[in-house]
Amino acid sequence: MTRVARGNGTPENHTVVLLNGDANLPRELLGNKGHGIDVMRRRNLPVPPAFCITTLVGLRYLADPKATMDAIWDDVLDGMSWLETDTSRTFGRGPRPLLVSVRSGATHSMPGMMDTILNLGMNDAVEQALASPEGAAFAHDTRRRFTNMYRRIVSGESDPVPADAHAQLRAGIEAVFASWNSPRAVAYRAHYGLDDRGGTAVVVQAMVFGNQGPNSGAGAFFSRNPITGANEPFGEWIPGGQGDDVVSGLVDVEPITALRDEQPAVYDELMDSARSLERLGSDMQEIEFTVEDGKLWLLQTRAAERSAQAAVRLALQLRSEGLIDDAETLRRVTPAHVEALLRPALQPETRLTAPLLAKGLPACPGVVSGTAYTDVDAALDAADQGKQVILVRDHTRPEDVRGMLAAQGIVTDVGGAASHAAVVSRELGRVAVVGCGHGVAASLAGKQITVDGYEGEVREGNLTLSAWSETDTPELRELADIARRISPLRAHATGDHPRMDDTSEAAVRAALDTGQTDVASETPLIIMLTALRLASQVSP
Amino acid sequence: MTELSVLQAVRLKGRVTPADLAVTLGDDLDGITPIVEQLTESGLLVDGTALKISPSGRARLETLLAEERSGIDSATIAAAYQDFRAVNADFKALVTDWQLKGGPAGKPNPHDDAEYDAAVLARLDDVHARVVPIIDAAATQLPRLNAYSSKLLVALGKVNDGETAWLTRPLIDSYHTVWFELHEELIGAMGLTREEAARSGDAQ
Repeated sequence: MTRVARGNGTPENHTVVLLNGDANLPRELLGNKGHGIDVMRRRNLPVPPAFCITTLVGLRYLADPKATMDAIWDDVLDGMSWLETDTSRTFGRGPRPLLVSVRSGATHSMPGMMDTILNLGMNDAVEQALASPEGAAFAHDTRRRFTNMYRRIVSGESDPVPADAHAQLRAGIEAVFASWNSPRAVAYRAHYGLDDRGGTAVVVQAMVFGNQGPNSGAGAFFSRNPITGANEPFGEWIPGGQGDDVVSGLVDVEPITALRDEQPAVYDELMDSARSLERLGSDMQEIEFTVEDGKLWLLQTRAAERSAQAAVRLALQLRSEGLIDDAETLRRVTPAHVEALLRPALQPETRLTAPLLAKGLPACPGVVSGTAYTDVDAALDAADQGKQVILVRDHTRPEDVRGMLAAQGIVTDVGGAASHAAVVSRELGRVAVVGCGHGVAASLAGKQITVDGYEGEVREGNLTLSAWSETDTPELRELADIARRISPLRAHATGDHPRMDDTSEAAVRAALDTGQTDVASETPLIIMLTALRLASQVSP
Repeated sequence: MTELSVLQAVRLKGRVTPADLAVTLGDDLDGITPIVEQLTESGLLVDGTALKISPSGRARLETLLAEERSGIDSATIAAAYQDFRAVNADFKALVTDWQLKGGPAGKPNPHDDAEYDAAVLARLDDVHARVVPIIDAAATQLPRLNAYSSKLLVALGKVNDGETAWLTRPLIDSYHTVWFELHEELIGAMGLTREEAARSGDAQ
């Protein structure tokens, strides 16, 4: 027990680590999820007990699965004993059975790319034991969730699920390790330029149940709005749901304000925890949580993904709250963020105030507006008269291609990201959202709609695109003022300085190398952000 | 050139110039002009800036297709359709990899990586080798479908000669255009509507 509880020693010993708040090991070893859990436990936040099988083991597993599992198995069993003691429950049997989640945890989050198995440790006896205090419906729902997930991820649809909880655990851990090399994870890493050799950690955590009774549920909570950057809580709440329901898109999700109305004390505790984690990480947090019979549990936390608008606004907010200094403020905003903001786009405030009519898969990017036509001939006639046309079809047929060409955008009821409609829309360069669900096209007919091929959304009305400007948008002016105080190259919108219109890294490097200190430019902020990045590369 | 072939070609193209219609039918303009004129006079086709099928033409086409289907061995067609579904999934994955890098949610392929592009295109020969016997089998019941083999072969030849637009470009008989029409034909040969095929998760 003490052998695995210790966070010190040589890295070779860090195979199975208890996340009890003093693991104090780097994110690279624990993975993002394990690291976040350890940090939360250290702050005495309500986190179900968990242990981590490190990325080191994940890498060894890929090279030699059997020997690696044999080598760590005793430590895994020790970790399970610790979970049993901590929860006063027993794994694989009653009267108070322990169920666990087995989660992937790479160093860099790859949302939805790798596998997670919930409710593991389930068999006939466990289901019966769960049913006696909590009710047969809860026990049955939990069993069903486990069986579906285990079959999907571990055993395949036709194979029986083993009744032995330890056999489930071992197979579950192996499946999560192996999912590092799943095609979608490999494609994701290739796309984002992430290292293929990192491997994943596995986190084994005691289950808490959002599907248990009336005052229960699961959700995702953002400490601020990651879309607009407004300093207001944002998130989703699924009464009676478990964590995987949040991402499945199969159940109705309520806004986080619903939790505030239903369980104000839980909501307040969640807010307090989020603020505390924000201060700890000096950044906006995305927290996965479960409420079990009125008790809040935090399952994981991480710095949240954000839009370019939110990146700018959050950096300025956190600076004014004293959480980050000037240099960090400017590190939080990249030149690419500013470039994106200067391009005409559907601003988040505009987007979120227009009613959402349909949601599907983004098949070809862009934002266009027009009148929705279900009939190809009518669409072609309208386009001939110079109207802005959106072709909305239940599914596309070969004869629709001319209509697609004449339209500004395309919406379909059925079809995936590799459907004929998606293929043709990309080839024609027409904004497309596909697979919106049966009956959507008919419901859109005749309406003025805006198709957002970035978000995969159809919204009501002809929404106008707009752009931020370095001279007119207060947030960008404020950032530029901060940058002029610390950038090695000061860039100004006006003034008697050498002109610099080329904002490329090479041009900024050349200006720095020749000892320039002040230049005039259309985009002073982009130049200074680039200069600050280059300077920090030289002298870290 | 049969009435059925011409009506079906016009329907699948939506709107088509007589010259393009001749190409897709494997004929020349002089060859198809008499039947096109006859179908236009009888109101089955509408002649404008391009030809299109009229409502009565569509009804006539449905009748002709139903006649063509009557008496065929439906088990053979069903088997061909099942086989097609598998190779269809692989072909669309190929096309998506050609258009996007990083899977269906990836970024547009800028076609600046010759090695990547070559690896994607190399998969087309395998797809073609698998689809030809499927068309052969279906054509034992519906000989008209043999034309799709020839058109796919023409597009494949152009792609292999480096004219990569012939993989996916719409409005020409590119590999994907012909494939999309073949898919529609097989759905029709099954006696399914696209709605029914869609409900079974297969009109994509």
